Amino acid sequence: MSSITTSGGLQLQVQGPLASLRRVGAVAANTVREAGRNRLFFGILGAAVLLLIFSVVLSDLALVDQRARLVQDFGLFTIPLLCNLTAILLGVVLMTKEIERKTLYAILPKPLRRAEFLLGKYLGLVLLLLAELLILTFVWSGVLLLRGGWLTPVIAEALALQFIEIMLVTAVALFFSALSSPILSGVLTAGVFVIGRITYVISELLGAQKGVFVEVPLMRALGRVLLAVVPDLSTFNISDELLLDWTIPNAYLGAATAYGLSWTAVFLVLAVLLFERRDLV
Amino acid sequence: MADADILLEVEKLAKTFRVGFFGRRVQALRGVSLQVRRGESLGYLGPNGSGKTTSIKCILTLIRPTQGQVRLFGLDPTDPLARARVGYLPESPYFYDYLKPTEVLDYVGRLYGLDRGTLRKRIPELLDRLGLSESMNRPLRGFSKGMLQRVGIAQSLLSDPDLLVWDEPMSGLDPIGRKEVRELMIDLRRQGKSLFFSSHVLADVETLCDSVCILDRGAVVAQGALSDLLHADRLESEAHFTLPIDPEPAVAALQRVAGVQLLDQSSTTVRLVLPTAQVSALTAAALSCGAQLTELSPRRDSLEELFVRKSVHLEEKSAAKEKP
Ligand SMILES: Nc1ncnc2c1ncn2[C@@H]1O[C@H](COP(=O)(O)OP(=O)(O)O)[C@@H](O)[C@H]1O
Ligand SMILES: [Mg+2]
Repeated sequence: MSSITTSGGLQLQVQGPLASLRRVGAVAANTVREAGRNRLFFGILGAAVLLLIFSVVLSDLALVDQRARLVQDFGLFTIPLLCNLTAILLGVVLMTKEIERKTLYAILPKPLRRAEFLLGKYLGLVLLLLAELLILTFVWSGVLLLRGGWLTPVIAEALALQFIEIMLVTAVALFFSALSSPILSGVLTAGVFVIGRITYVISELLGAQKGVFVEVPLMRALGRVLLAVVPDLSTFNISDELLLDWTIPNAYLGAATAYGLSWTAVFLVLAVLLFERRDLV
Repeated sequence: MADADILLEVEKLAKTFRVGFFGRRVQALRGVSLQVRRGESLGYLGPNGSGKTTSIKCILTLIRPTQGQVRLFGLDPTDPLARARVGYLPESPYFYDYLKPTEVLDYVGRLYGLDRGTLRKRIPELLDRLGLSESMNRPLRGFSKGMLQRVGIAQSLLSDPDLLVWDEPMSGLDPIGRKEVRELMIDLRRQGKSLFFSSHVLADVETLCDSVCILDRGAVVAQGALSDLLHADRLESEAHFTLPIDPEPAVAALQRVAGVQLLDQSSTTVRLVLPTAQVSALTAAALSCGAQLTELSPRRDSLEELFVRKSVHLEEKSAAKEKP
């Protein structure tokens, strides 16, 4: 790694991939630190833990031999949902705050590329969300144990697949918030998340014999566009299969992961390309 | 002078913003050109809204110019290598309010690729120099505007840059703070650093720069060495007289000298301004009317006057253009 020496004799390492990586790391570390000093992150985390513990109470309503199942279903549904909610909120808040509070204006003129900044922000967010997922899974497996269940490898696999969805949603949040206002980014990201989870409904409606999606040309066009630009998030949800005790083929896990990471890359690359053009006035 | 000595070069920079729903055009910059050479200190002056911040943001890639180009150390400013040698202080800087000054500098230092050892030594030194050593372990949340300004200056100096680009370094500071920053700037010049800084407070600039660039409504209205600009326009002198018992005829006699303008008059004294070439004619007139010359001094434009005159000048020009 080549370095430049300043007139006062300092060594600056700014060239080359390693220096670039270090800058990405610095931005990521600062993102993690910011969340660590932010009420929002711990608020969501605390609420999520309480909710999981609450599922114990809930399970008391069920028949004894179904209690573990109930806790399992509840967790598999709630944990990813909460992490996605965090991804949307934290992604939008931490990114738009940099622009609204103009902290970015002091950082971007440093020998830092905008792409490096966005990537660092993204990695920091993903690390935080991974921590949240692990903490919630840990609490939940305790609850599960209490009700005679067990965190099986298949359940762990299901959660890992859900994490791909969380990574994708984070990229979407960053994409919108690098380009628009906090509220608009929040609404748009939430929109992509909700529509992404029900794309199969839209495609069923489009394929049906009748209904607005078939009869009204405008709705049909809208439905087609949505299917094209919104990733199908149900790809990452295998809780139904788990419920039926089906085994999930590795090929499926691999394909789903590739699908999620490709969409993630698309959103990140688009975010960089558009963000590079943005005037920070 | 070799090209390597031109640290910053701005050529015909233009920026048009589009505002509002209908994309109304606002021309913030209309072809600004300027240069900063090694060791030079260039003051960037202009009233509020004249385009200083916009052009500085173009230099540091925060804003994409509509036209024109910027070269930093001979490189395109989008090259991180070019920006590595610049220390930038944003206008009313904001930093992460959850960080302490030491953490801000640590973050910034990593972006410059400084190693831990250097940072551990350099950060406390810099904070101490800027009078922040007592608050260096408190989050910025509770900092005053002046303290934030100091943090901003500290982070701009961290990488020992050759060129400092400071947007309104004096704003938000109290008189003591201003004095300290002024001393710091003098010190930096002594070290051979190049300074490019904006201000709308002329008194701050007059003693700190070799040359100035005056901006008004997005265009450069005057540029050059301060001494040239201040003398070039007029060579005038100011004369003070003590008047005789009967003042009126004496004043009238003095005013008959070509080019004389009355500045002010009391019952016993008068103050006049005149072209320096007319000084001997004036003294002759004074001798014959009994007025006694008490003071004669060359009159230099203050920067303030130059500033106002240049702006007004431009206003008249554009007003004339708009008339059918
Ligand atoms: N984001 C923006 N949209 C529209 N006009 C802007 C924007 N930013 C600045 N301007 C205009 O550009 C001009 C120059 O502003 P600025 O560069 O901040 O001036 P200065 O720093 O000299 O006070 C002003 O007339 C201002 O109204
Ligand atoms: Mg300004």
